[in-house]
Amino acid sequence: MVAIEVPKVNYTDYSNRQLAAVPLAFLVLALAIIGGWVVATGAPANLGLEFTGGVELRIADEANGDVEQQIQTAFDRQPDSVRTIPGDDVVVVTFQAAEDDPEGLANDLQDQADAAGLTTTAVDQVSPSFASDTARTALFGVGLAFLGMSVLVFALFRTFVPSVAVVASAFSDLVIPIAAMNLLGIQMTLGTIAALLMIIGYSVDSDILLNDSVLRRTGEFYESVSRAMRTGVTMTLTSIAAMVVMAIVASLFGIGLLRDIGIILSVGLCADLMNTYLMNVSLLRWYKFEGVAR
Amino acid sequence: MLEPIKKNWRILLLVVVVLGSTVALFGPGFGPEPAPGESASEAQQGVTNLQYGLDLAGGTRVRAPLSGYTATDVALGGDTPGTVAEAVATELDNASTRDVGAVPEESAVEVTEPSVTESQFRAAMDAAGYEYGDVRSGVTQRTRDETMSVIQGKINEAGLSGGSVQQVQSITGEYFILVEVPGEGRQEVIDLLEERGTVRIDIAYPDGNGTAVQEGTLIQDDFEEIGTAAQSDQGTGAYVPVTVRNTAEDGQSPAHSFQDAVVQRGFPDAYQTQTDRCGYDEETGEIGNSNPCLLLVVDGEVVNSFGMDPGLADSMAQGSWAETGNFRLTTGEFTEAQTISLNLRAGALPADLDISGEGTSSSISASQGENFRTYSLIIGVLSVFAVAGMVFLRYREPRVALPMIVTALAEVYALLGFAALLGYPLELAVIAGFIAVVGTGVDDLVIIADQVMSEGDVSSRTVFDSRFRQAFWVIGAAAATTIIAMSPLMVLSLGDLSGFAIFTILGVLIGVLVTRPAYGDILRRLLTVR
Repeated sequence: MVAIEVPKVNYTDYSNRQLAAVPLAFLVLALAIIGGWVVATGAPANLGLEFTGGVELRIADEANGDVEQQIQTAFDRQPDSVRTIPGDDVVVVTFQAAEDDPEGLANDLQDQADAAGLTTTAVDQVSPSFASDTARTALFGVGLAFLGMSVLVFALFRTFVPSVAVVASAFSDLVIPIAAMNLLGIQMTLGTIAALLMIIGYSVDSDILLNDSVLRRTGEFYESVSRAMRTGVTMTLTSIAAMVVMAIVASLFGIGLLRDIGIILSVGLCADLMNTYLMNVSLLRWYKFEGVAR
Repeated sequence: MLEPIKKNWRILLLVVVVLGSTVALFGPGFGPEPAPGESASEAQQGVTNLQYGLDLAGGTRVRAPLSGYTATDVALGGDTPGTVAEAVATELDNASTRDVGAVPEESAVEVTEPSVTESQFRAAMDAAGYEYGDVRSGVTQRTRDETMSVIQGKINEAGLSGGSVQQVQSITGEYFILVEVPGEGRQEVIDLLEERGTVRIDIAYPDGNGTAVQEGTLIQDDFEEIGTAAQSDQGTGAYVPVTVRNTAEDGQSPAHSFQDAVVQRGFPDAYQTQTDRCGYDEETGEIGNSNPCLLLVVDGEVVNSFGMDPGLADSMAQGSWAETGNFRLTTGEFTEAQTISLNLRAGALPADLDISGEGTSSSISASQGENFRTYSLIIGVLSVFAVAGMVFLRYREPRVALPMIVTALAEVYALLGFAALLGYPLELAVIAGFIAVVGTGVDDLVIIADQVMSEGDVSSRTVFDSRFRQAFWVIGAAAATTIIAMSPLMVLSLGDLSGFAIFTILGVLIGVLVTRPAYGDILRRLLTVR
């Protein structure tokens, strides 16, 4: 039987700079991608329906001919995206909000779908001004959560460098999934906001574990790190397993909310593995061997 | 005898919580509140007492602000609301007195006609001579409350069980009305919200051997003003004073055509003295005597029939009545008069819901909801399997891994019990919360197991306890960060994400307070040498 053995990393082979270089490179790259997105599209990510406004229709695929073909001709405006959900026999059609006439768009579209003989199983409509309100609220929420987490971490450890290490790694854990979302073409939705908040909560766990092991327990530095790592990697891997399964199954069934949460958390937790055991460890080692001595 | 209880109280607490959840999930009396005319078993969805939200049961959610503007801190100078409303309304071309309201308790004046712009309203307030602090979009608290009760009334009347209406405030301070109706499509719900209870006046008249009815001699739109219900000065009865419009875009005005119909059906001849009565029988729909009658029809049902005051009939015969257009709709009961007044004036909401402008609506068909329910169950089960698989691969020791998985499942079970107990409807977001709880829950159990088993065998209880306490510091810290991170979602109005946050936080709390300590005890019993 295959067993999972958490590998022992020989940290002594690498300098702090070398260790921190990889996660920092990722962080810089992610920030560059997000910056590029802001320059190119005016927003840090591909905003979904909830943040731009528009209408989303779910149309049943009743297997009587080519539904996608029918959809192309059914509406008098061009859909912005048409996605087929394999597991559920439905097609999700999205329309961005119309600048000229937001009035009754959802009704019109539903009528057009009915007229073309398509069965609508769900309709979502978000108006543009409501959407921009939601975006502001979401940004505020993520900011507030991050701030609260930072304050709590500082209160728990009461030392500057280790606390900063946790906060910095949590920041990177947030930024990398956002950049990954942009590259994978995943839209920012309420579900991904929830996932980002969840990352703040989740990713700090392994950092706290590491800090606790190094700072609050007796024992030699590398021993403490490897002890924390054995537990921490197991933890993160089980979470990743749950999230990957959730993402795969949910995307088969076309449940966008669960899929988005699954993907974002998987990416975020992978980023967390890197950040915790490269960046965080190097910062802690510097603190332990050089920072304290100063 | 108390010793074993004291030693194992953590495990016992977990057992109690699990039993409690079972009662909440399956016991009678914890099920969903049945709607009027529905039995408790009909209200139940599936074998458990769990309730499903719109995502998982199908239905429609509409969230929209009420259109209008409100001037705040208005110096009303002791004027009555009516005077204020009239003064402001005359300064607005596109609004009538009905569209303007003054609320002295809030020192506010509002306009609810959607076509009035903010600058028009400001100009009208200035012109009417009322000083005000500021003008904001939206309506007054009173109008929001009224709108909510009208919507609630509509939902109840339509017999939609589980329908709810509430006010939510966004981060920018704007108020939204949130309406949720399970099992109904988007269009049906919007129609219900926008539809007025129809009130009309028919005339019943003798026709040969039977009774004929001329329908819709007056319809809702024909009324210019609708007063509030009042008690009759003489006798029992109550009435609603109304004014029929004497203006028309083309052709005859409603007041004139009503007057003509009344004269044509012979009211002036039939009602000569106060003793002439209407003999309409609401049961059979026949007129007992030969007098024509006015019928008050609400939502297609005749609620009252009445004759006509001789003076009024006379003024109609002379053709002078239409100039003023005043008359009274009389009823037997005061409450009936109130309903009619409300239906005539409203049935429509006191202020319009701005659904397409600034609102959101979403709707899921019942079959789609049912699919989602099955799918999320599959997703949940598979995620648990994934976690269990990882745990087994890592520990390869059933003594450690099995209790871990059982404990994590107990946590989810307890959460489901809570959901049933609180009557909180399960939605996709809540399911995501459950999965997140399984994830964090197992994380913490891993911490406990590793901590306890590190540094060699656990030989004594004291060693175990000290290691367990150390592990618990990390768990507590991790739980606190999760709670802090999720709490903004709980209070911010971000759609259904508050359900996700509430259940993640609840799960973390149950975990830290009940299940994780219990796992510690279980592990101790299994590992320590007794």
